[in-house]
Amino acid sequence: MTARKKKAVAAAAEALAADPAEDAEAVEREPVRVPVFPVGVNYYPLIQERESWSDWYDRDVETDFAQLARAGFSLVRVFVSWKYFEQQVGQYADDADDRLARLVAAARDNKLKLIVTFFADDGFSELVDVPWAKGRDPRTDAYLVDRETALVQRIVMALRREEAIFAWDLGNEPFLARFESAEALRVWAAKLRDAIREIDKERPVTIGIDAETFQLATGIDARTALDDFGFVVSHPTAAYRIYATEGPMTSRSGTYLDSFLLHVARGALPVLLDDVGVFSLDYSAFEEAAHTRLALYSAVMNGAAGAVLRRFRDAQTENREPYFRDPYEVLVGVEDSDGIGKPSFAEARRFAKVALRLGRGGYALPRERVAVVMPAERWEPLPSLAGLHAPRSCLQAYVSAKEAHVPVTVVHEDEDLGAYRMLVVPSAFKLSAETWERIEAFVQGGGSLFASYGGGDAEPGARQLFGMEFLGDDGPRRAVSCRVAQPGMLGDLTSFDAALPVEHYALLGRGDAIVVATDATGNPLLTMNRFGQGQAVFLAVPAERGLAQPDTWGALSPVRDLLRAVYGSQAAAAGAAAPLACDRPEAEVVLASGDDGDVLMVLNHSGERVTANLTFERRVASVGDIRGGAPVPVTGPSFATVLAPFGAAVLRVTYV
Amino acid sequence: MPRTRSQHVAAAEQLAREGRYAKAAVEAWDALADRNDPLPRIILAEVMLADDFYEPAIRFATEAIELDPDCAPAYLALGLAYDRRGGMWDQSILVWHELAEVVPDLVTAHVQLGEALATANFDEEAIDAWKTALALDPREPRAMYDLAVAALKREGVATALPGFRKAGELDPSGDELFLAMLQGAVGSAAVPGRGDPKTRGEKLRAALDKAWYEDLFGAMDYVRSVLDADHEDAEALALAAWIYLKQEAVNEAVACAARALALAPDEPPALYVLGVAYAKRPGLAAQAAEVFSRLAAAVPNSALPHVLLAETLLGLQLYAQAGRSFRRAVTLDPTCVRARFGLATAYLTEGRHADANWEMRRAAYYDTRRKGHFWRLYDAYVGGGDEE
Repeated sequence: MTARKKKAVAAAAEALAADPAEDAEAVEREPVRVPVFPVGVNYYPLIQERESWSDWYDRDVETDFAQLARAGFSLVRVFVSWKYFEQQVGQYADDADDRLARLVAAARDNKLKLIVTFFADDGFSELVDVPWAKGRDPRTDAYLVDRETALVQRIVMALRREEAIFAWDLGNEPFLARFESAEALRVWAAKLRDAIREIDKERPVTIGIDAETFQLATGIDARTALDDFGFVVSHPTAAYRIYATEGPMTSRSGTYLDSFLLHVARGALPVLLDDVGVFSLDYSAFEEAAHTRLALYSAVMNGAAGAVLRRFRDAQTENREPYFRDPYEVLVGVEDSDGIGKPSFAEARRFAKVALRLGRGGYALPRERVAVVMPAERWEPLPSLAGLHAPRSCLQAYVSAKEAHVPVTVVHEDEDLGAYRMLVVPSAFKLSAETWERIEAFVQGGGSLFASYGGGDAEPGARQLFGMEFLGDDGPRRAVSCRVAQPGMLGDLTSFDAALPVEHYALLGRGDAIVVATDATGNPLLTMNRFGQGQAVFLAVPAERGLAQPDTWGALSPVRDLLRAVYGSQAAAAGAAAPLACDRPEAEVVLASGDDGDVLMVLNHSGERVTANLTFERRVASVGDIRGGAPVPVTGPSFATVLAPFGAAVLRVTYV
Repeated sequence: MPRTRSQHVAAAEQLAREGRYAKAAVEAWDALADRNDPLPRIILAEVMLADDFYEPAIRFATEAIELDPDCAPAYLALGLAYDRRGGMWDQSILVWHELAEVVPDLVTAHVQLGEALATANFDEEAIDAWKTALALDPREPRAMYDLAVAALKREGVATALPGFRKAGELDPSGDELFLAMLQGAVGSAAVPGRGDPKTRGEKLRAALDKAWYEDLFGAMDYVRSVLDADHEDAEALALAAWIYLKQEAVNEAVACAARALALAPDEPPALYVLGVAYAKRPGLAAQAAEVFSRLAAAVPNSALPHVLLAETLLGLQLYAQAGRSFRRAVTLDPTCVRARFGLATAYLTEGRHADANWEMRRAAYYDTRRKGHFWRLYDAYVGGGDEE
């Protein structure tokens, strides 16, 4: 372990442990400044299904931790077994203490930091199945919750002065998903969190819930339960990925899902991207590595405070077919079951080195001035389909903004909108009247708004804002036609006919707005209205919702082109565009400013080799790979970089 | 006995058929008050499936089956939801088994059962299921594609290619493309209601009508009549070539198509027939690829020429190029089952298993949707009768 590495690990811990309350400006999403980006891994207690619960971490953890340290990892998430610790009520097993001490010593010796997870379910370790519970629910039964509190306090007390402990984690999502109400979850989480803080006030406490994925799985809005933790986690579950995106995780909009959820989770608290890796053994080694690379670089480019891989070593399951379903999503690791590193491990190792170099000078990501608004209807239950459509539409809007190279984030409808210069409201069925008032004030004050029709009637205030009379919903259409009436007004638009099935089409009457494009029969399709000091653009079809349907990705490039052009044009007009241009939509670009020069990160979201031409606002003197090598002189504001399929480049840029 | 439908169910059904899913969901939800009626649950399952919301679709279809274990449309929705969601092959196998028992003649149930078994690595059982499907309908292309993919996985591309060729021949999309192209070239001359067609256009339209219903001899009579009047009529020659091809007279087909192309270079129908004829002949794959690339250039916005080109490239072991053409075809027409299976094949040759499985899942989805199984099973269920 070099001195630099030690310093970096300490800095990583500091970054994640930063107290959000100290920086009220964080609410406004100031530039995220991360001195170093820690990479970690989930280290599960059992590696073979035939092992018993009593084999909890009964293996050579020292060798594994040494290997992780050599690969540049700095975090390890370990899982407490309540069943093993408290085999009889109130009597704790000495063996359990010894094994935990071995884990901690191994981490300390290798300068790794541990995240200790107390209550988790991984499918076969029986971590929370205490036999004396006699069927009572450990989430709500008062006696069991007291026993849980006692266990937690016992472990925290024993390890409170231990330098290898980085954070305490109350539980993982498979365990927590069995709560039946938000209130029960909040009460349980608050009780255990406070129990930890009674003993250890320094270290961050977290809970393994991503509010967005949790809502889909349980119908529970966990946001209030996540208040007052040290940091939060974000992780696309298999169910969420299947719901939100089409195709395998290495294709199409799926490659943006990790960063999208990161932005959804980002509030005042730092976010740790959790469970990076594929869900099942269906994926080839190439696909596993590509996904790992995409997720890790997406994380660092979109303001994550760190990333933790899904599993260290593949779990060996019993050979009982058909059994490929993994409801706990813990089977696939970065090493195979023989302990041989897979290509995804090599990817993580390479990334850890890049992250270390990034951290040497520190870097600040650009502040996002464009926000996709997640409507409050997202929390509506069935039979409203709005709750199911809204996240998908927001993801499509997010992808389009990324393709336009606009620095973008996601904001919830009830959050402060004042920190942004442009808002995107994609295919919402409705926003509250109060939100429309705030948006009106936002535009009046110089903000830029893009909204696409989502169905239903229009708010009276919205009619004034968009400068058009709303004449009703024309109902489903099989195709979207665009005839450009005002070329150049909202970017480089072209006329097209595309087979995009949409459930609604807003019929618009004459008003003050400029009709930028119409459909094939002359109905306004895209309008732009100057309102106060800002502008409001309206698209008469729920384009983002339509694009979110499977298989529309490739066939509907004209609609995607339209969104990309309009988003890019509006962001530029609002002064919220990126400080550089890129000619390839599939290349995600972030220009971060560092103490010793800017750092350009480019990530290829396609499975094809891509040459991205980049043009800066300033003349570039040289670019060099952050991993080393001589900088290459550049004689103007532009240069090209070649990206392998799903490849990434991190370049240090100096200017003339 | 026909089932009675509540007002809400009838309204939900109508809205769902029209594609107004949000309103259909609200109507069907109101009908859930009747805790013993499977119909609103079936409709909700279909509505959720239509918007790719798999978890709720699974929930509602399961509830419908719990209320009536013979509810065939609910089994269909449940099986499709499991398959399209992915990762639930064990449940999927059970569902398709059940549907095959409830509606034994439903070929799709056997095909889907085979696909679920194959995903769970029960290869032999999967092959048996596809063979059962082909026994019920020997012209079922999807079962043939599945068998070819199984051969590809077990024994490599060379062994699988004849299966892909056979599946392509069974697939009606080639004939549909040819007839559509020729129809476009011939124009809209109506066939007279009474008496024989007199003009060239009328005769060719009549020939096309006969060809559409596979009355090849009747069609040839009209074609001959056109060629008697003008033996340099390129469209008539192309149609003659196609009729020969359908009768396995490949040499005659090549001769007619080549003559048509000599008269009208890049005539799409003639290019199609010549390419297909070359592809049937061993050793002429390179020539077929050249012809199909001309066809793809002549009809750039149609998916099938790209599929035909890609299939030929696959035969030439040019997998990367084949993959690009298949991708182009899928981009042009995401519903093209043949392109989806072809693309899956290309992905398998590259070791991209997840991508391949996804393409096959989408092929299954579109194939089932195109066949309109859900509403047919639903109507039969509501009517109280047996399907098929």
